[in-house]
Order: sequence, then C-alpha cells, then structure tokens
Amino acid sequence: MTTVRMRINGRAYGPVTVRDELTMNDFLRERLGLTGTKFGCGAGQCLSCAVIIDDPDGTSHTSPTCIVPAASFNGKSIRTVEGHATNGELTALQRSFIDHFAFQCGYCTAGFLNEGQVLLERLAKTPVARADLEKTIADAFDGHLCRCTGYIKYHEAVRDVILADPGRYLT
Amino acid sequence: MKASRREFAKLVTASGIALSLSRLALANEPGFAARETLPGRQRWNPAATGAGRIDGVAKVTGAKLYASDFRAADLPGWPAHTAHAMLIRTANAMHIYEGVDLTRLSGALKPSVIVTAADLARIGARVPKFYTGDLFCPVGKTPLYLGQPAALLIYESFDAFDQARLALRNEALLKFGAETGPVVERDYGAFRFTRVAGATPDAPDVCSPVKDGWVSPGFFQDGGGPIWARLPVPTGAAYASAASYGEQIRAELDANAPSLLVLDREFETQSVDPMFLEPECGLAWYDADRKNLELVLGVQSPYDAATSVATLLGNARANFKPAHINAHFAYMGGGFGGRDHTPFPLYVALAAMFLRRPVRLAQDRYQQFQGGIKRHAFKIHTRIGVDRATGKISAFAADHVLDGGGLANYSASVAAVSANAAIGIYDVPKVDVTTVALHSRGVTAGSMRGYGTLQTMTALEVLIDEAASTLAIDPIEFRRRNALRTGGRTMAGNTYDVVVRTPEILDRLEQHAIWRHRAEEKARGRRAGSVVGTGVACVTKDYGSGADASLSLVEVDPEGRISIRCDHVEMGNGIGTALANRVAAHLGAVADEVAVAEVDRFGALGLVTTGDPYTMDQATQDAAQRNPRWVPAISSPTSSSIGAHVGTHSASEAARVIFRFGLWPAALELWGLAPTDPRAARWEAARWEQGRLTMPELRPLPLSEIAARAHARKGVTAAMAHSFSRWAWSKATFAIGGQAWTAEIDALAVRKGSGKFVRLDRADVKYPPTVFNRIGTSYTSLCGALVRVEIERATGALRIDRAYTVLECGRALTPEIVLGQAQGGFAMGVGYALLESLPLYEDGPGNGQWNLGQYLIARGSDLPLQGLEIEVLPPLPNDPPKGMAEVVMIPIVPALLNAIFDATGRRFQALPVTQQMLKGALT
Amino acid sequence: MKFAVLAAAVGLMTCAMSDSRSATLATPETFAGIGDAATRSAALFTELGKVLTSPRCVNCHPAGDRPHQGELGRIHQPPVERGPDGRGLPAMRCPICHQDANFEPGRVPGHHEWRLAPRVMGWEGKTLGEICAQIKDQARNGGRSLDALARHIGEDTLVGWAWSPGFGRQPAPGTQKEAGALVEAWINTGAVCPK
Repeated sequence: MTTVRMRINGRAYGPVTVRDELTMNDFLRERLGLTGTKFGCGAGQCLSCAVIIDDPDGTSHTSPTCIVPAASFNGKSIRTVEGHATNGELTALQRSFIDHFAFQCGYCTAGFLNEGQVLLERLAKTPVARADLEKTIADAFDGHLCRCTGYIKYHEAVRDVILADPGRYLT
Repeated sequence: MKASRREFAKLVTASGIALSLSRLALANEPGFAARETLPGRQRWNPAATGAGRIDGVAKVTGAKLYASDFRAADLPGWPAHTAHAMLIRTANAMHIYEGVDLTRLSGALKPSVIVTAADLARIGARVPKFYTGDLFCPVGKTPLYLGQPAALLIYESFDAFDQARLALRNEALLKFGAETGPVVERDYGAFRFTRVAGATPDAPDVCSPVKDGWVSPGFFQDGGGPIWARLPVPTGAAYASAASYGEQIRAELDANAPSLLVLDREFETQSVDPMFLEPECGLAWYDADRKNLELVLGVQSPYDAATSVATLLGNARANFKPAHINAHFAYMGGGFGGRDHTPFPLYVALAAMFLRRPVRLAQDRYQQFQGGIKRHAFKIHTRIGVDRATGKISAFAADHVLDGGGLANYSASVAAVSANAAIGIYDVPKVDVTTVALHSRGVTAGSMRGYGTLQTMTALEVLIDEAASTLAIDPIEFRRRNALRTGGRTMAGNTYDVVVRTPEILDRLEQHAIWRHRAEEKARGRRAGSVVGTGVACVTKDYGSGADASLSLVEVDPEGRISIRCDHVEMGNGIGTALANRVAAHLGAVADEVAVAEVDRFGALGLVTTGDPYTMDQATQDAAQRNPRWVPAISSPTSSSIGAHVGTHSASEAARVIFRFGLWPAALELWGLAPTDPRAARWEAARWEQGRLTMPELRPLPLSEIAARAHARKGVTAAMAHSFSRWAWSKATFAIGGQAWTAEIDALAVRKGSGKFVRLDRADVKYPPTVFNRIGTSYTSLCGALVRVEIERATGALRIDRAYTVLECGRALTPEIVLGQAQGGFAMGVGYALLESLPLYEDGPGNGQWNLGQYLIARGSDLPLQGLEIEVLPPLPNDPPKGMAEVVMIPIVPALLNAIFDATGRRFQALPVTQQMLKGALT
Repeated sequence: MKFAVLAAAVGLMTCAMSDSRSATLATPETFAGIGDAATRSAALFTELGKVLTSPRCVNCHPAGDRPHQGELGRIHQPPVERGPDGRGLPAMRCPICHQDANFEPGRVPGHHEWRLAPRVMGWEGKTLGEICAQIKDQARNGGRSLDALARHIGEDTLVGWAWSPGFGRQPAPGTQKEAGALVEAWINTGAVCPK
C-alpha cells in the first residue's frame, strides 16, 4: 500500500492509500468516479486513457493511465478531460474538435484532447516552422488509436487552432 | 434478410415480465435519461448552426455518457455500492470440460457468487433462440467454441475483484479431461442463388430467386456440409430446379469455348475484430423486493437486448424471475455491427439476478478479443466468363464458405447478404452462387460493417481487374461496359428502387488526376527505387435489412423548442444530429433535446407484433394488419447502414404531422388567412428561412411565435410515429382534425396543445408485399475508390501516396458526418487490407491473449492524412437520405489490392497483404 | 494428476512460439570436451547467442530506431522512436510507461534505466558471428572492454530484466549468472567468434 496525494484538475486529492497494483486508470474511474478518462486496451497501446501530467519544470506530457500504478502519480499534478473547460467555457481546442466534427463515437476523444493540448502548450514555448507542422502533429497523435474517424479531422482541428494564432505557435 | 427476433416478443408476453426500457426516477443527481438527452435545455447546441454534433460538448468534456461510465452511485435510487463480475472463458475447445477448480478460488480470490451452467439449469433460465448454445459450458461437455464462458465470478468490492483478476490470469482455473476434438455441429445456413436472364433485357427471367423463391440444398454429407449437386430424389423440387440451371451455367464455363475468357480463382479473407474502442460492459441491479431488474447497457440492438433478457428469465423459478425489466441504453464507444445482437447483455442480467445488488460486468480488451463478435472469414471460389469480342460478362459462378465460429448469431444472414453482393455493380445474365456458413470452434462471427459484402466484393473487384487486364481493356471502361443500369435486374431478379449512379461514379474516377497520371507516377517510382501502382474499384452496397423499423416522438414546446426521442442508437454514427437536422427541415429549428436508444417512450402507440417479417406469408400479413395496432416489427437494431434512411424516417414523418396540423394552422391564424383562403392549402410551398416561416408577401413568422399560437389553439404540438420498410415503405392513412393524412408510417399518435397523446387508428394500410422477402436488396448506394501506393523495394514497406473516394448517398443529413464516415471507412479498409488478422482457432483471440500489440489497426501514420480526397455526389432531385457508412469501406480494399498488382505484378488472393508478403513479392 | 498434465498441454498449445526455444543454458563445463580452444570459445559464444538472440534482448537492440515487443518481435505499439537519448521523442518517452519495475496489472515491463540500446549496438537480423564481432568492437559496444562486457551481461540489472520479464513474456534462457559465466569462459578462451 502507498499513501498518495495528487492534484487533479487543480484540486488536491489525498492523502489516500492505494494498493500498489491499482492502476491509475482504476483509481480515476473506480475510486474517484472520473470516467472521462477512458479504458480502451489496458495495455498502453491505444492511449484512450491518456491524461496530462504537469511537471514541476513547467512542461507537460501525456501518460497512459492503464499501465501505470496510481502510486506512481503520488505528488503529481494532472489534468483530465473533465478539467479543460473552465466555468463551462470550452478551450480553443475543445471548440475546434466540435467545429471540425473531429470525433464520432467520442471514446478516444479525451486522449486526443489531452495530447493536442500538450502539443499546443509545447509549441507555445518552442514554436515550429509551418513546414514542419504536419509532421509535428502526426508525431504527437500517432500513438492514439481511433476506430471511427480516420484521424483526418482530429489533425485538422488542432492544425486550425495553431494556424489561427501563428505568431504564438509557429516560428 | 436477417434472422428472426419476433418470437422473443411473444415470449415476453407469455413470460409475464413487463418490459419497460424507461427512465429512472429523478433525484438530485442527474439521472441516466437526463445525462443521455443531448445537448439539453439551456446548454450550447453546436448542431443549432451546423457547427457540430448535438453530443459535441458532452464528448469533449468527458461527461458520463457511455455504459462504461456508470456505476451504481451515479444512478438515483440505486444502492451506492457496485460489485464487480468477471466471465471466465475457455481457451480449450478440444477437451471435455470438467469444471472450475474451486481450490484455486480460496482466500482473497474467493468470489461472493459463482454462476455456472448448473446454476442456470437450477433456476430454469432459457436461452433465447437467436443465441442458441450453452451460455456456460456444462461440465462433461467439450466447449462449443474458444472463448465460451464457463463461469461468472462476482466480487463484492472492486479491490477484491481487481486482485482476483490479476491472480486468476496466471491460474489454470478450468479443468479439462479427455481429448474429443472440436464439437461438430450442422451448418448455420446454406443457400443457392441462381438467375438466368431472359433472352432480351425486357424479357422475364428464365429463373431467379425473386421469381422462384430462395432455395437451400436439402441434403447434407456425413461431415455436415451441404450437398450442392442436384440429386435424383423426389423431394426438394425448387432446389433441384435452381441447381439444374446452376449446373448448366457451370458447364458452359467449363466448356473451354475459345470465344470466352474464363478465370477460375480462389480468394480467402481473414477473421477480424470490429475493435470498437469501448469494450462491452454493463451494469445491473436486481431489486428482489420490488422484483425489478435494472440494466444499463450499450448495444446496437436495444429492443433485442431487453426482450432477450426477458426470454432468459421468463420461465425462471419465482425468485429468479423479475416482474419488471427496466433497461437503459447508453451512448456507445463504437459499434461497427459488433454490438448488434451479442449475448453479452444476458451475462450482465445473470450477474444481477444471482447477486441481487448492483453489479458491473466489463470486459477488458483481452476478453473483448476473446468473447466479442468477429467478422466472418471467407473462402471464395469464383469462375467468371467474359466474351472476348464484346468484353461483356456472360456468366458468373461462385462458392462461398464462411467460418461462423461458435454460435449461429447472424451467420446465415451474412451468407445470404454476401452472396447477393457477389456480382457487385455488374449486370450478368447468368449467375449461380452457393453459400454456406459453417460452425467452428472459433470465436463467434456475426455482424460487422460490410456484412459479408466486403469479402465477396473484394474478391469480385480483384477478379474484374484481372479480367480487364487479361483482355487489355481499360479497367474503368470494362466496368462501364458491364455495369448494371437503372432498371436492370440484380442477381435476385428485382430492379433497384433507387437510381443506379454507376456511370457517374465511373466517370468521376476516370477523370481524376490519380487515374489520369498513373503511368507517369509508375515511371517516377521506377526512378526512385520503389514501385508505384494505382488501383481502382467500384462497389454498391445495400442499406437496410429487408424488415426495418423506427420509432420516434417529436415535440414542440410553446417557446418553439424541439425535443426528439428515437429508438435508434448512437455509436458515433451521428444519428442524434441527423435526427435533429432532418426534423429541422420541417420545423425550422434544430432540436435542443435529443434522446436516442429509447424503446419505451412509445406506449401511446399501443403497438403489437406477431410473426416473423422476413418469412411471413401474404395471407398471414393480410390477416394481422387488420388489427390497427399491429406492425411487422416494433424496433430495429441500428445496423445495415439504416440510420439516415430508416432511423430518422419516423421523426421526419412525425415532424411533418406537427407542421401540417399544428404549426401551419397557427401560422395561418397569425397571418390572418382564413381556412378558405387558397393560400391555406399551399402549406407545402412554405419555407423555413433562418428560423422563420416564409410565404411570398406574408410576414416571416418566428417559430417561437407559431409554436405559442399552436399550443394556445390546441393544435398538434407533438407526434409519435412508427415506420416499417421491407425494401419499400409501408403507408397508411390517418384522420387528423377531420382530414385524411396519408404518409409512409403505419402507426401514429398525436398530442394537441399540452394534452395527452391520442393514438389514431390507421386506415388503408399498405404493407410491402411479403414476396419482397425474396429481394436481395432494392436500396443501394455506390462508392468508387482510387488508391495510389508506393512500395519500397528493399523492405516491402507500403505507403499510400494519394487516394480518392467518390460516393453518393442521396441527401446528406449531416454532410460533415458523411465525410467523417468516409474517412473512417477508408482507415478501416486499409486495416483490413494490410494489417488486421486473427488466427481462427487456438492461436487466435479465443485464447484470451490478444491485444492491440499483435492486432494492428490503422494508425495515423498508416494513412494518407493529407492525400485523401472524398467527393460526395450532389443528391438527385427527390433523393431520400441513403445509407453510406458501410459502402465507403468496401472499395478501398480491392482498390489497394489492384494498386499492389499494378505496382508489383503480383495478384494477392488472400488478406491481409503484409509488408513481409510485399517484400517477398519484390525480391 | 490427469488435470495437471492436460492443463500443461493447453498451456503449451497457446505458447507454441515461445516453447520452441530452449529455456536453459549449458554451463561452460559442458564445452570442456572441445579440445581446440578457439572452437570451444566459439561454441561458448554460440551458447550465449541463445540469450543474445532472445526477443528479450533483440527487441531493444533493433536494427532501426523503433523497438520491438513480444515473442514475435513485432514493432512496438504504440509506435515509439529512440529519440536523441534512446528514451523516446518528446511526445512519448520510455519512462512514462516503463516505470522502475514491471507493473504486472498492465503487463508492462519496467526498469529505471529503460531505454533502447544505441543504434550501433543493434543486432536484429544479424548472424551470431556478426553480433560477436560487433559486441567485441568498442566502437560498437558502448566503449566496453571485454571485462566490462562480462559485467554488463552478467551483472547489469537492465540486462537482468531479461530473466524476469513479467507476465506474458518468455524469460531469456538460463539465468543471468549462467550467461555471465558463459561470457567469462568465452573471454578466457580467447573470445573467438563463431563463423
């Protein structure tokens, strides 16, 4: 058993004890009822369970939750799909996903949203050239599986957010 | 043609279980129904301006929406605690099952409840006919198939469950005895479709399934397979007649006539998994005090799921027989056919009946591979004869063998549908196709996007490409020369009910740059050290199953806000948005409350059903339809690409009634037009423009103003309707406000003002004749594809350079979703052609060890994300919305194979074509 | 007893791939009968080769920039690349999933040093003779002397993971200690490479 504390979407959780074999996915879904983070494969291969980890150095990355113990998240600050909008106000990326009809069944959406958001924040810090943008998006999203959409609209949705503010995201 | 569901409904009545598929009592927490009604009043509705889906906000904010999101604590009125169940499935279908090794379930692994075959026998559970086969393998029998459940274990706490599932993964929990080999069962269905056209296009067919009926061989070999030959026995005359024509066709193909090119080819397709991203799951609670069974499920076939559970428990011992079943159906994380009629809901219900507290049964991905419905693997043997002088196909004979896996499920139906697709877009005067679906020990195969036609039309389009190149005819010209035109007969012998737009599709393909520049690109590849090839394919796919129904309720409140409820389900297909858009065309605004997968809201219609709509004879239908509440089918699964055409049809018809008998009379009053004014009869000329109803020279009226007046004057403000299609719509006439209203519906109830729904008796109902059951299909959509591939010589790595899909689907209700379906169909086609494959037996998913590391579906990097162009042909005047979600996947596969041939000179006759195989072909 | 035997048979059936490989390593003494030292040395390396070519080693000593996984050595899913430090690209770093130790519920292997072997140390698709030459070449073995190599194979805990790879993975043959003994014996006999 490990005692953990963490911040989820800005809110402090814990201290609570978790079994060392409890996955972060089950901690979110079964213990906290945060079911916006999905369970797809349980093997880290589809990334529909990915959440954002905000590191102390100010950078962020996504992590699958189905193959990582909840105990490993002790002391971490994370964001899930439930935490993007503030006071009901959607983020630019959430809006763009809707505008582009980016998802169909929506089960992979949380993972794509988290990955896309991390990408936007990374580009805001380290912009890329327009010529490299498609590959940058493709590299970021390639770990995420979607069975409905063929991925094109997800790519278009994040690209359009970037192109709407080129001074911020592009060199 | 799909298998019967009807008898279940009758059994429900006989069982005495009241079935309500209804909402829960409201409490402080938003109830299930409130969460699943989208977007909801006072919430932003992206669909209102065409800028998104009605479920858009819910899906980007992680709202509780899917069956997998709900626990008991989320549901008002339920006990707070959720128990967890797991199914133990067998990975052995060759030895006698000797039971669960209970010694391994001691200590922390000890479940609260274990359910086995013996328990089902003890309580008197009854397996619904569609799912015939032991729900749990009984001790002493060899498991019927790999992945057959042997036991259900239920744990009170999640922690106990979680520890147990981890520990049990390493344990040989099931005991086996002597080796028996696999269980041998009869085939699931065998048919022969034989058509010989008359001497001229206008002449009647000499023989055809429509003319002479569908036939099956009546005799079987010792091993179980059908005997296709015409036997000299006095019975089975209909079969013998078709078979003798069929044998004649085969003899002509065998005759080695020099004027005829005959190609004789084998083609094999693999088993694949639908791989919807949300594994099957469910939540249930049996409240023994109230004898009430509550279910939360995500299925494509809600009506079947509820009635099947009722059948399962309808004969059970008193304390295992609910008085009520209350089923709630959630949004789904994908379906693709794989959640249509699966046995999974039965296990969810059993878990609840044996525990009597809320319990969740959810498969992980390994279990979903092990237990979920698969696509049929086919072995296809085809012979095609083409007249060398004219380039016209003169005869076609094929034999299909489907591996149906462990349970019958939809196998017979898939065999029939895929056989009827065997000649694709072509007009062939002599066709003979046999098809048989076999039982095997593999995981059960059933419905999946394409429903067998993917397999047979892939084999066909590859063969057509070979015939064209053998005869040195341009492949598009060859297709044009042989394409079936509007008015021509399908291989069943009927004509399509829709315009056949093959010539336009072929023109678009021919004019496209990918096709025109194929030679230059091939030359470029040679210079670059790779091989480049371009492939084309064109297919047609039915939408509808031949007995399809929908139920809808549309309401307008005094503020002009619209609510829609419908029995069809949302699995990504966008049915909610399509419903809202279709209704908006009649009522001037997009609904802000859409609830799907509701089967229970239509009590006011008082519908009853008897018989099987697929096999009923005319006299039975004539007698049954005298009861004005009788319909041939109450509700359909959301499958067969029927969402747009059938799923939204009832809502559209209900909205028309509201407009004609609610909003229009109110508008006349607001305009000050007397009922006798000639303009009062011109309601069909009115137009909605930006939420206002317009007529020439009259003040545009906002919907809210009209709705308020309609309510005030007690006009029709809500309507519920039922519709039924058997390759044509049923029609009936209803008296509304003293006027006769004829529409493509067979049941109607209306509400005036804020009153109650009143059922209206129909008059003059016209159901499509039962002989239409002989039709293979009469509704069809077309899709053509061009694909250019570049293959690295050294490694065999294939890259799709560019691709083009052109389709027609009548009036697109939500164009962006049509586009998305086409893009998604492309991706699934790429996966099927190049990546996905499941071994059928012990090494396959039935062993419980499969996940996405071995089973590869298309990722972004496998696809031409910037190089895929989709074109949707504009609808023809009066085109209805047509189904398109399946057809868009199909041509991608043969176009890829044809492109690979163009690049490598090698015709692959089995799927998938992997990088290793390509490497082998290039070195 | 009948049950146990049959259960084992079923196990074999489903793991046919992994069971086709030997699970044990011969000791150096087994080779004492080979009189010629060079031949004996090459034979010792050939025995060690059972470890080096096991999926546990080859999967992360690949030919290209992508690790492999599983008993069949398929490309790692999700697709990851070695990146500048052998621990992935910014969007997907090895240690995000691969924790300090194996995590059994996710069937995911772990070690605090989890990373891809450098590109020059890839031996996927090579013959044992080629691997042997490579492993002795300090330009292609991470600058290791033969002694350091012996320690790497015999004692390094990341290498040691190969013998305790967690659920669903066939361990490398023998034990790490046995593999270390083979390396030492090979070195002591002149570190001769098989043909």
